[in-house]
Amino acid sequence: MFSYEKMLQYPVNIKNPNPKYAQIVLEQYGGPDGELGASLRYLSQRFSMPCPELKGLLTDIGTEELGHLEMIGAIVYQLTRNLSVEEIKKGGFDAYFVNHTTGVYPAGANGMPFNAGSLASKGDVITDLHENMAAEQKARTTYDNILRLVDDPDVRDAIKFLREREIVHYQRFGEGLRIATDKLNEKNFYAFNPSFDTRCNRKMR
Amino acid sequence: MNTRKAMLLKLGSLQFSLWELHLYLDTHPMDTAAEARYRGYKKCYDEVRAEFTEKYGPLSPSEGNGEKWLKSPWPWEKQEECVK
Repeated sequence: MFSYEKMLQYPVNIKNPNPKYAQIVLEQYGGPDGELGASLRYLSQRFSMPCPELKGLLTDIGTEELGHLEMIGAIVYQLTRNLSVEEIKKGGFDAYFVNHTTGVYPAGANGMPFNAGSLASKGDVITDLHENMAAEQKARTTYDNILRLVDDPDVRDAIKFLREREIVHYQRFGEGLRIATDKLNEKNFYAFNPSFDTRCNRKMR
Repeated sequence: MNTRKAMLLKLGSLQFSLWELHLYLDTHPMDTAAEARYRGYKKCYDEVRAEFTEKYGPLSPSEGNGEKWLKSPWPWEKQEECVK
């Protein structure tokens, strides 16, 4: 089961509310390469991982992503504190506000609600780990784009931490892929699917 | 039922009792009788948890890493898959 720690993985302390920045950062809450999709991707894929190292890796990274979701939620929350209607209109936050007020909702920056179509769980360890490495890089690009658009040092500090975590996770997934292929048929990694053809995968365990 | 499974079931039922009281105390924060019951279960839970992790390895990342964390059974696995 899961349990909660009443602290953020990295502190979020934003002095100046800014509805424009809130809308941009929301991309990583409910957008296609955001933290909600990341956590659901890994926490779903882990069931069919064929060896303990990968069950552990996906459980641990998936759990960390839930912590990142909380950090993004905290950034959006702090950026939308004490706003006047004038500020909301000026910041282009009115389209979001008319539905959600300043509640935190899993949508992308363009207002599109979270869609599980942005993640995959393919039941094949090689496919899933490549999906994950691509996902980490897509999130890293999105954080790079947020850093291009946002000047506030308080927001940038937390975003830089999250960007760095994408790079670390990419590295760990690459190592996980190596662990998987080292246990597969070295002449043909695709000879069988160790998540499905379980009689062939004695070595994976 | 093997001893690990039996002990985990006992730990799970104690954990559930704690959680149920925790939830109740969210809406009844002044209920000292419930607090006392919580403390009673907590003492028992801590003892069983310490004994379990000593015997069978960590149940959470804060209790261990590496081999010990990876190799004990994962909660979604059926017993027959748990090859050491």
